[in-house]
Amino acid sequence: MADTLPSEFDVIVIGTGLPESITAAACSRSGRRVLHVDSRSYYGGNWASFSFSGLLSWLKEYQENSDIVSDSPVWQDQILENEEAIALSRKDKTIQHVEVFCYASQDLNEDVEEAGALQKNHALVTSANSTEASDSAFLPTEDESLSTMSCEMLTEQTPSSDPENALEVNGAEVTGEKENHCDDKTCVPSTSAEDMSENVPIAEDTTEQPKKNIITYSQIIKEGRRFNIDLVSKLLYSRGLLIDLLIKSNVSRYAEFKNITRILAFREGQVEQVPCSRADVFNSKQLTMVEKRMLMKFLTFCMEYEKYPDEYKGYEEITFYEYLKTQKLTPNLQYIVLHSIAMTSETTSSTMDGLKATKNFLHCLGRYGNTPFLFPLYGQGELPQCFCRMCAVFGGIYCLRHSVQCLVVDKESRKCKAIIDQFGQRIISEHFLVEDSYFSENMCSRVQYRQISRAVLITDRSVLKTDSDQQISILTVPAEEPGTFAVRVIELCSSTMTCMKGTYLVHLTCTSSKTAREDLEPVVQKLFIPYTEMEIENEQVEKPRILWALYFNMRDSSDISRSCYSDLPSNVYVCSGPDCGLGNDNAVKQAETLFQEICPNEDFCPPPPNPEDIVLDGDGLQPETSESSAIPEANSETFEESTNLGNLEESSE
Amino acid sequence: MMAIRELKVCLLGDTGVGKSSIVCRFVQDHFDHNISPTIGASFMTKTVPCGNELHKFLIWDTAGQERFHSLAPMYYRGSAAAVIVYDITKQDSFYTLKKWVKELKEHGPENIVMAIAGNKCDLSDIREVPLKDAKEYAESIGAIVVETSAKNAINIEELFQGISRQIPPLDPHENGNNGIIKVEKPTTQASRRCC
Repeated sequence: MADTLPSEFDVIVIGTGLPESITAAACSRSGRRVLHVDSRSYYGGNWASFSFSGLLSWLKEYQENSDIVSDSPVWQDQILENEEAIALSRKDKTIQHVEVFCYASQDLNEDVEEAGALQKNHALVTSANSTEASDSAFLPTEDESLSTMSCEMLTEQTPSSDPENALEVNGAEVTGEKENHCDDKTCVPSTSAEDMSENVPIAEDTTEQPKKNIITYSQIIKEGRRFNIDLVSKLLYSRGLLIDLLIKSNVSRYAEFKNITRILAFREGQVEQVPCSRADVFNSKQLTMVEKRMLMKFLTFCMEYEKYPDEYKGYEEITFYEYLKTQKLTPNLQYIVLHSIAMTSETTSSTMDGLKATKNFLHCLGRYGNTPFLFPLYGQGELPQCFCRMCAVFGGIYCLRHSVQCLVVDKESRKCKAIIDQFGQRIISEHFLVEDSYFSENMCSRVQYRQISRAVLITDRSVLKTDSDQQISILTVPAEEPGTFAVRVIELCSSTMTCMKGTYLVHLTCTSSKTAREDLEPVVQKLFIPYTEMEIENEQVEKPRILWALYFNMRDSSDISRSCYSDLPSNVYVCSGPDCGLGNDNAVKQAETLFQEICPNEDFCPPPPNPEDIVLDGDGLQPETSESSAIPEANSETFEESTNLGNLEESSE
Repeated sequence: MMAIRELKVCLLGDTGVGKSSIVCRFVQDHFDHNISPTIGASFMTKTVPCGNELHKFLIWDTAGQERFHSLAPMYYRGSAAAVIVYDITKQDSFYTLKKWVKELKEHGPENIVMAIAGNKCDLSDIREVPLKDAKEYAESIGAIVVETSAKNAINIEELFQGISRQIPPLDPHENGNNGIIKVEKPTTQASRRCC
């Protein structure tokens, strides 16, 4: 496609993270001509989700980040006398301290089989097993993993013109069979009992047979496309700004969600479920009758705490933790309210913050289910894509793998007037929205960035087993030492479409005090055990086993204000990367603020015409117009009245 | 009362091969010569009977994101079928069709029904792609193939009927939506009631 880009737009957006994507959608919806580019090959920036192989190549990219050779035409020649340029960074420095550990067994058989093709694999096994690995922890590269995959396909499968089809059979069961099949074919004697057990066909991944639920690294690779691994781990508050925006703009029709099914707490070495709804409280077996009454009374008060100022007057200056002690609550209940409902810690929240957080939690209950949170199917990374689609629907032009070399600033007016892209094309625009990782460090040199510590684990069972193996849970593990932060754990099951059957995807997040591994490993060790240790101890270990683990730090630029940037033209706007918080309010607020600067006094993401209405109502009139650029505005007026926002409780389960 | 099954269908193919025209013909039985690149309508729906079911096709348009090869993976999510369109008068569009198939296999759902449409068959005097080539290729990937003309309403209905027939019958075990939540205003009927 030799298509060339138009050379003039109203708004150019650089970066496809959530705030940029929302802003792009809003501007496009308001009739602005939007060009939305990202130098990466995927949508979402640090908000993206990846398949397993996608994640491995993302990791590889960060490893190789150091030496990008530019073969783009030089832009310097294009800068005129009365212009100057702000060069954009070609390196993304937002991810650091990446460490990967693989505990899942890497089939001996397969190693033998692939020895010729994949010598690297052996190195990979050894370094993978050494948890002591230094900072240069092993990173399976894309090539390795891909060649592993293709090699297996070639050797394992019955002749088939299309290896992909063979993969497209459901579930772990089949994979188990493939393993067997592989054994039959390769004539490598299975040497140990261990190997045998690994190749037992995996029956249904029901809770009755957890022992047979053995997943190897090669299975993870093979089923890699079933994973959608989020770089940021967030949830949607069911009455949060993002849900409201999704509904208002009708972007929600591009996505599907699941309710978080459980709120968990970690106390005295045990994971337990936190009752949060009225029904939960009454059904709870952990609470005594007296506690149930105390908790209900306190939560009922929190729902409308503003009405009873006497209850908290005089406590405003102390922490919520201290305040809870003054209430008629047992230590057990204080713990639940503080960590699992208000989701705060002993030191960080004042009484008022805590009450507000508790109220917000309770307010979100019951809209879509028994907990206040929703998770998008296929991962958080879907959300920026949904807004990008909306932008495109209203005429926005999308270019991934398209980098911008510099912003061109007019010396006299001090306004940005154009970009020069990787092909040396000059594209002019009125407004420029730039995700902050595209700015080089010297634009914002005096700033000390906060960091987010992240871990992603693939495990073989849930942290709290119940009848159903399809639970989605959130667990807050309080900080142990002063100066460290509480760790948020989100465990996703396979029906969220983020991991393969028989596995769980666990996200750990906290504000960094050290490297991600230093921050999070203590919590990981409390909740999980590495797969390898299990093989020795064998039976009746209740903790989930880690098959694969990744640690990394992500830059949190959410508190960097515009004034930190030196000499930014007034029509250049900055979007920050993800923050550490659980919800997405920050991204929505940022987008709305930026939109108001670009399009003052215009409606932020009004609902588009319902396409069903176009089809059904518009026999004579619509066909010509429904495809033309003139119609969105025209239609929006017609249909705005008929859209019924907000009353969505009916659609909940 | 027949059961209505909603089936997401995504459209693929180069810019200008007639993706939107095919949908426009199918859904509205209309053809516009001066159709502009797709704007404003992100998807259209049409319900057709199939056996003892009604198939409600939710047809997603690319919204132009294919133009610079920037389709988002979310576009393919949950699609029951994909209509991959090429222009029989443009050999290039048939070459790139194969890229779209590859893309679909990488990012699309498993068991997706693939239907190849060789559009603009009304212009067969300037044809560049022989039907035989398309048939051979379609067979090799297990896809339906048909030559269509959105302009003259040739084979458009048949294309979608062909898809309907390939859709596997509803799995009784997969009844219900497994707790999947659509965060939306009520659909047409419900919203109609309130105004």
